[in-house]
Amino acid sequence: MKKISVDHLARVEGSGGISATIDGNVVTDVKFSIYEGPRLVEMLTLGKTPEEDVNIVPRICAICSISHKYAALRAMENALSVKVPAKASLLRELMHLGEMIESHSLHVYYLALPDYVGFPNAIAMASKFYLEVKIALEMKEFGNHVMKKTGGRYIHGENPVIGGFGKYPSREELIWIKSRAIQFMPFVLKTVSLFCELDYPDCPEENTLYVCCNPHKNKYGLAGNEIILSTGETINKDDYKSLTNEFVVSHSYAKHSRYKGKPYSVGALARVNNLGSRLRGEAGKMYKKYFNSRWKKNPFFNNAAQALEILYSFERIPKIVDGLLNLSDPSIIRYTEKEGKGTGIVEAPRGLLIHSYEISDGLVSYTDIITPTAQNAEDIERYCHIAAQKLLDKGEEVKIRERMELVVRAYDPCISCSAHMAEIKKAPLENWRTKLEEIKKKGMPIFVGVGKRNRSDDGAGIELALELRKNGVNDVWLESEIRKENTPWKTGTHRPLIFLDAVDFREKPGKVTLIPLHYIFSNIALSHKLLPFIPDQINYMQIRNSFVLGIQPESVELGPKISGPVRQALAKVLKQIIN
Amino acid sequence: MERNKKDKLKIGIYELTGCAGDALLILDCEKELIDIFKAADIESFLMAKSDNRDGELDVALVEGSVSTEKEKKEILDIRKRAKVVVAIGICACFGGIQAAFLNKKDWEKNFKKVYGDIKMKHTKPVQSKPIDTYIKVDYYLPGCPIDKEQFLSTFNRILRGNPPELYRFPVCVECKWNENDCLLNKDIPCLGPITRAGCGSICINHNLPCVGCWGPVEEANLTSEFQLLQEKGFKYDFIKKKMASFSGTGVADFLGKLKGENK
Repeated sequence: MKKISVDHLARVEGSGGISATIDGNVVTDVKFSIYEGPRLVEMLTLGKTPEEDVNIVPRICAICSISHKYAALRAMENALSVKVPAKASLLRELMHLGEMIESHSLHVYYLALPDYVGFPNAIAMASKFYLEVKIALEMKEFGNHVMKKTGGRYIHGENPVIGGFGKYPSREELIWIKSRAIQFMPFVLKTVSLFCELDYPDCPEENTLYVCCNPHKNKYGLAGNEIILSTGETINKDDYKSLTNEFVVSHSYAKHSRYKGKPYSVGALARVNNLGSRLRGEAGKMYKKYFNSRWKKNPFFNNAAQALEILYSFERIPKIVDGLLNLSDPSIIRYTEKEGKGTGIVEAPRGLLIHSYEISDGLVSYTDIITPTAQNAEDIERYCHIAAQKLLDKGEEVKIRERMELVVRAYDPCISCSAHMAEIKKAPLENWRTKLEEIKKKGMPIFVGVGKRNRSDDGAGIELALELRKNGVNDVWLESEIRKENTPWKTGTHRPLIFLDAVDFREKPGKVTLIPLHYIFSNIALSHKLLPFIPDQINYMQIRNSFVLGIQPESVELGPKISGPVRQALAKVLKQIIN
Repeated sequence: MERNKKDKLKIGIYELTGCAGDALLILDCEKELIDIFKAADIESFLMAKSDNRDGELDVALVEGSVSTEKEKKEILDIRKRAKVVVAIGICACFGGIQAAFLNKKDWEKNFKKVYGDIKMKHTKPVQSKPIDTYIKVDYYLPGCPIDKEQFLSTFNRILRGNPPELYRFPVCVECKWNENDCLLNKDIPCLGPITRAGCGSICINHNLPCVGCWGPVEEANLTSEFQLLQEKGFKYDFIKKKMASFSGTGVADFLGKLKGENK
């Protein structure tokens, strides 16, 4: 058994690594891990005013600071019923395009291109591609300039506020932005050709599901109130959890977001795949010229998609400026709401970004932030796995390390964003029977069935709970019966608590595991799902006295049917508990 | 004048826990970036290049707070290798937003709420602290993110062996230079009087109150600001949270004493 790893991924934002474990001629495991320390940003926002929240959350990530601000504003304005004036909406689009230009040009020219032309970094690359590096710098600077004029600062600007802007840019500044954008067009067109014509490796190539915002009126765009999938399905923003958290408690083991049990990708490539046919103008022409079936399955084309979006942004800016020039500066819309719930979704440069809040008595009482890299992590691992295995099959093991790094970089991951995606350890797979008997010695456990019955094996937990009841076991709860004021913890403080659930712990279907609940807590998306269950004052010892009995599902597709292996496992567990 | 490669200073740029905004800002020095790379040997800069070396350094620029055991080791190692260590950005200087849980107990409570009792395999988390909790820091370059002009001037001075010259006055001074109306006079809770200048009073220029993202200025009169905000009718907890938002450790002593509680 050996391990190939890149410990410090270079030319990505933040600190992370990727590793592949190889056993003989099989790649057994690929891990994309995050070394950034925990920052508990979501907890930091609790108890703050909506305004303060909007100050803090952009600090999650410098590169996407505008997108975080934009998503937070949209969520807060939904929660507080604030309708922003047309000019504010247009200016927000402008600031967002500034970030798109800055981030994409940084990524394609500085971080990605050196790989394809054989240099360790962009500065070294300047010896051969001086003009490209120089103008790319100017293009990036232009993106920064747009952000500065609209947001107030390159990074973490505070000008966009709930209800509008502190101050609007002057006519002169807007006209300058417009004319400068037009000047860049020749270089932008060259950029698109350069990145669409690069010779991208054909390994890994495999289809995936692409997910992005669905903008209004069948247009191309970077924000919306709906999520669209490459299958054509759409999901309302308020139902985002049906996209990101398909599994329940269990899913911390599957630390990443999955839709119907399958990994998906977000980002420029997802947008171009889902919305590319809506592009007009030069971007539309370029799309028709270059888009082909490889874009649907090869993550390296994200670089090409980003180049195409740079063009889209440059074409869009003059139109926005014209719109802004026709409108007078509105004042900030004030609000009086003190209670509310709202979700805001936007496309960060690297993909779908979701902010969701609840406000009680004028203060933030619930925060959920789902970042693009957290959603991409699963697909990053999958593509790395495919690449590593294919290279191994071809006897090109030496190339694995470099190729995995190339895949990760193509996704343009933003690691400080995904810091809560802490690496999940393999929890000790003790014998569940022994463990269960040990727990029983402490007192008869309270059971809670968790899952969705309409999602085949994900219903296993509920099914098991119902069977236990039928067999006369006391104190069996269903997930749906838990209320804030009435939780299983309160009714049996000293007794152990066992959640019954389908858990993806990457084993054979029907395998059973019994693990302490705190192992599950490593994933914030999951703990969120659990948090409503857990009263604020819960004694920590009670959490330590809680466990999850997980059954490896075979499938979590829509449908009421539970698979054979899981059914057998259910019978085994039932027998063990009743004995 | 082109100096010999031998004569160039060896510089490392490191990111601990944070948003990487300060490293990004260095990359954002578009016009000067090529010159920066020419003027010094950039030995390590993970965000910008892949051929990084961990050897002896003349200067280490460190962004981000220390929030894992691994980072603790890393910062000690950087200190050993570098002649001069500069903390860049609010997280390295004061701990940043992630240090806002004033005391260890709060932090532990919140950590457990989010992550449970998990034992991280790769590294153990610790409460977020500025880097000078663990090592001696030679210079501080605050900001959230750092300011480009201040960075370039600091970088320049350090290249020539001089200490950086930073502003030692609060945002209010810059605010006056920019001829803004005082927001506190309009009963808007502005942290300008206690916050270090350098941002160019950017928020107040946009009619928005200072949120304190550069951390406290030397000799800031925190008591007076606290009283002023209380007189204006803001609640105790609101003021306390607001002051701690960006610079937990910078104001922890003061806020700790307020309630008579220990740090």
